[in-house]
Amino acid sequence: MGGNVLVLAEHDGKQISDATYELLGAARDLAAALGGQAEVALFGPRDLASQLGGADVVVSVDHPALAEYLPEAYEQALTAVLAERSPRLVLMSTATAGLDLGAAAAVRWQAPLAAAVTKLEAAAGEIVATAQILGGKVLAELELPGERAIAAVVGGTYPAAAGQGAGTPEVVEVAPPAGLDRLRMSLVQVTEPPGGDVDITTADLLVSVGRGIESQDNVELVQELGDALGVPLSASRPVVDAGWLPKTRQVGKSGLKVKPKAYLAFGISGAPEHLEGMRDADLIIACNTDPGAPIFDVAHYGTTVDLFDLVPALTEKLGR
Amino acid sequence: MRIVVLMKAVPDLVEEIELTADETGIDREFLKFVVSEWDAQALEEALLIKDAAGADVVAVGLASDPDIDQALYTALAKGADSAVKVTGGEETMLTGDRAALLAGYLAAEPADLVMTGVQAADDIDGQLPPMLAAHLGQPHVSVVVAVEAANGGVTVRQEFAGGLVHELAVQLPAVIGVQAARQAPRYAPITRIRQAMQAGGLREVTAAAATAAPAPTVRRMFRPEQASHAQMLTGSADDVATAIADLLRDRGLVKG
Amino acid sequence: MLVRIIVGGVIVLAGLGLAGTRLAWLARLVRSGQPAPGRLADAPARVTAELAEVLGQRKLFKRWRSGLPHALVFWGFLILLFTIIEALGDTFLSKDFAIPLIGHSGELGFVEDLFTVIVLAGLAVFTVTRLVESPRRRGKSSRFYGSHTTAAWITLSMIALVMITLLGYRAAQVNTGHFPYGNAAFASHWLAGVLKPLGTSANSGLETGLLLANIAVIMGFGVFVTYSKHLHIVMAPLNVAFSRRPRALGALGELPAEAPAATPQLELLTWKQRLDALTCTECGRCQSACPAWNSGQPLSPKLLIMNLRDGLMSSGTGSASDTVHDGDSNGTDGAAETAVISPDVLWSCTTCGACVEQCPVDIEHVDTIVHLRRQLVDAGQIEPAVRQVLQADAQQGNSFGKSSRMRARWTRELGFGVKDARKEPVRYLWFVGDFASFDERLQVLSRSLARILRDAGVDFGMLFDGERDDGNDVRRIGEEGLFQMLAEQNMEAFRSATFEEIFTTDPHSFNTLRNEYPAFGLDKPVMHYSQLLQRLLGDGAIGVEPLGMRVTYHDPCYLARHNRLTDPPRQVLAALGCDLVEMPRNGLNTFCCGAGGGRIWMTGPEQAERPSESRIREAVAVGVDHFVVACPKDFVMYTDAVKTTGNDDRITVIDLIQLVDRARRPAPTLETV
Repeated sequence: MGGNVLVLAEHDGKQISDATYELLGAARDLAAALGGQAEVALFGPRDLASQLGGADVVVSVDHPALAEYLPEAYEQALTAVLAERSPRLVLMSTATAGLDLGAAAAVRWQAPLAAAVTKLEAAAGEIVATAQILGGKVLAELELPGERAIAAVVGGTYPAAAGQGAGTPEVVEVAPPAGLDRLRMSLVQVTEPPGGDVDITTADLLVSVGRGIESQDNVELVQELGDALGVPLSASRPVVDAGWLPKTRQVGKSGLKVKPKAYLAFGISGAPEHLEGMRDADLIIACNTDPGAPIFDVAHYGTTVDLFDLVPALTEKLGR
Repeated sequence: MRIVVLMKAVPDLVEEIELTADETGIDREFLKFVVSEWDAQALEEALLIKDAAGADVVAVGLASDPDIDQALYTALAKGADSAVKVTGGEETMLTGDRAALLAGYLAAEPADLVMTGVQAADDIDGQLPPMLAAHLGQPHVSVVVAVEAANGGVTVRQEFAGGLVHELAVQLPAVIGVQAARQAPRYAPITRIRQAMQAGGLREVTAAAATAAPAPTVRRMFRPEQASHAQMLTGSADDVATAIADLLRDRGLVKG
Repeated sequence: MLVRIIVGGVIVLAGLGLAGTRLAWLARLVRSGQPAPGRLADAPARVTAELAEVLGQRKLFKRWRSGLPHALVFWGFLILLFTIIEALGDTFLSKDFAIPLIGHSGELGFVEDLFTVIVLAGLAVFTVTRLVESPRRRGKSSRFYGSHTTAAWITLSMIALVMITLLGYRAAQVNTGHFPYGNAAFASHWLAGVLKPLGTSANSGLETGLLLANIAVIMGFGVFVTYSKHLHIVMAPLNVAFSRRPRALGALGELPAEAPAATPQLELLTWKQRLDALTCTECGRCQSACPAWNSGQPLSPKLLIMNLRDGLMSSGTGSASDTVHDGDSNGTDGAAETAVISPDVLWSCTTCGACVEQCPVDIEHVDTIVHLRRQLVDAGQIEPAVRQVLQADAQQGNSFGKSSRMRARWTRELGFGVKDARKEPVRYLWFVGDFASFDERLQVLSRSLARILRDAGVDFGMLFDGERDDGNDVRRIGEEGLFQMLAEQNMEAFRSATFEEIFTTDPHSFNTLRNEYPAFGLDKPVMHYSQLLQRLLGDGAIGVEPLGMRVTYHDPCYLARHNRLTDPPRQVLAALGCDLVEMPRNGLNTFCCGAGGGRIWMTGPEQAERPSESRIREAVAVGVDHFVVACPKDFVMYTDAVKTTGNDDRITVIDLIQLVDRARRPAPTLETV
């Protein structure tokens, strides 16, 4: 319908995700500019609609196959909703569900898609998205003309608060498509992230290491600083992939989102996926020998001093 | 099982990226291209399936990609059984166009399993695996960190934020977007790559593109503003350490 | 006589038969190795080596305390060949046998007796050496750790028995009147005096008994030799004759034929590498000098060669491994089932060449290690950090993974332009190398050198983004294809430039450019910057005032050992008025910093004490406060080691370039490192 903006809701069966509220906040503004409503597509348990007070309409598809996130089931439900609701713009996150569903919908629904969006503007029916490419080195301003479009928005682009309204949205039910009864994939099991380790999301101060650390021995060097400060080490993806720190310490898109009072980044270049997980820290201090590293664009303080000199010096000064 | 691994050549992010004169694209002329790191992960995972259960692994690239021969020969050196260069399309970084052409190729030479990187650094209009799967009408899973052959299909591990993992049983044919292989991509010794080059063996296949999804229009490209650049601390390691210690003390994050 | 002929005949035939069969089997084992071309080229050098190293025992004198007695025993064996002829004559021909022409000369009798006594004295020294340096007492720091010590004791005992029976039967001969020599054979006559009271018939019995015993011990020893590490008395002359000349350092050895992936290690070995394995005497000189072994890593060059030998012996026949085993000779803990040598052992090597330098029988350890590493690389068995470096070298042409265009970025802060040798002709082409180009600390040194050269009026240029990693370390990691690719790319850049001579910052670049690039067509002289500085100081192109500093100098392995350049840096220090205090391990015997052969990028295996840390302690002990280096990797390694050993306030690492800067007049403005 005209200028409606539809948000794909992500949830774990009990809780609507923060990313959904971020998108919903943006959707409200965009819908206002486009002269439409903010709608949320909610797949699975319908009672979650009560958490979507910020929406004008909740479009619900409920079916046993949608109880847990399953790419094929969600895709079928989304296809049905798009056919039924014809929104002007669909918003989804760049997390797993967004990566699964956005580009598929672009083909099935024949709509242009803007990936890795960090800014959206709408005026006079025209939508312009700003998207990151090449590891954030270049931004592209993309026009999304016509009657329909999709934007995959980078997490943390919008505040979640704007999407958390207390209204009572209209709930529209869409019949589950028949395809949900003959899916070609099934969920075998769910593995929670390994527990028992420290929780980096509750720490006030984090010491974090990235690819620039080069070896496991050097992780131990930084661990000494962490021990001196009594804080846990966190890391960017390459360090976890190398097996130098457990998955529970990974900060970023495929890891955890952290918001400490201070974040010390050693040897982290600042790929967009990592920045997404830590950019909200109150104070970011980055150490990287490459003065052009993107981490310096989000850090409050930076230095190009060699971390192998700096870390022992800091350990000495902050040891207690 | 015939596994097709799709390889894309992307700009080497180590190099300075230049924009075209009209600032609507990347100046590709003097740019160095390398295989997309996620595609390298997909190839590794495919080779792991081959090592464990046996498979016919075919590396496929677009003939219009810069330096794609090098990428395909490297794949052969690592253990791919054959390599195909798909012709019939213009040079393009748009995923929509690439998916449409590759869908044409896969219609002519179907695969049991298509594996490729979950994304590429220069994706503007979306990621290849879901687009391709939509063209082919096949199931697809993205952000996958393990694929294993099981019961005539595959079992995949799909990763979510925070490290939550879903294990899915997927029927074939299917398209998988790989985030990371179970082990770091293997090294291809230069001698083996050269041997593969001497042996030749890149097969060219002309494909008829399917109808691509509409693409967004690039109005302009630009570099991110450095307005919020960090305040740089300079001097010796000791000076910098003192400054950082003071910053932390001021906020009461450390004692003393 | 009949008893002598029958018993002696049985002993000699049995001995020759057993030893001969074994030697023929060993010969087949060696000859079934892969081809090793060029092992007969330059015959004069091989003859010279044979004279110096076998007859002259040259390399044994690097440790004179055991080298001198070894040389005397060896020379004694040569002299005592005469007594074997005599013993055979006495056994089979006549009780009065004498060697024709010289057989009655008192001089020969004296020399024979003299060396019999000297050999016995030598054995006493060996006994003391083996007791003092016993692995039971000294563990892994003993050079005999892992050697077959029981076999060594058997060897010493048998040689002693040969000497005792020899002297005994000669003494008896004196008493029975069969001795061909006069009183000059002093030892025989002395013992004869002791035996004389026993009477003539007893002496006659002793004569035959001890003669046959002497023949039996000699034959027994001959057989024992072919089954033990003492085989070196047969193999060493051959191995020295076939070894690389002038030495197995500098360039890497020949590339053996390409083997299919997953070829077992033993089948990969060339016949020369097999000969190496059979020649090893287990003396452990290599082990004592090895930086990997001394830092607690699993590699001992000696155990590596011994394990290859053990593997060959058991693979060659399936059962004939009769080498005497005792103690722990296993340096391959956790080795893969199929591999004789585990990857960890191979990856521990810094390729510093200390083992090759020490080896008295010219075993080529470094070539063999790199040869086996190539197979690991071919199979993709490389640790992730090294894989990243190789990938970066393949993609970006430098080990730092930076854009080529960033290579000469350090020149921006110079305030003057450096010539691009591809655009204008220069006299000297500076091959800066990866570390001096990309490492920020070393960039400061590169800028200093550029200013020194400019102020000295030197006409020099660089290749800028045309330069690639020299490939020296890439080759020694075992990535031969990548090395060749890098060499070809550098050659292309050299060909596009106009220059007369090349100088390098890095001794590793220097080594490969000088010794290995000629095979790719490089025909220009290559020198190290220490040589250029020496030249400029000698010409007076750089004006200096004496510094009067007390310093020690660390010889880079690839300058000193691999290329015999120990003098130019010392000349520079002298020209700068520095008082040089040498460390115990200097010159050709320098101790590696631990960075070579790709080790600078590797994390495993575990080290107890890094070689660089041991070296800094050595330097502190000689009592100087400046540690002079002439290699960028040394600068990095030792700067770190000074910190990790807590010696910041005792010693400072300083490059030759910085010393020149301090001394030169007018004084330049200095950047801090």
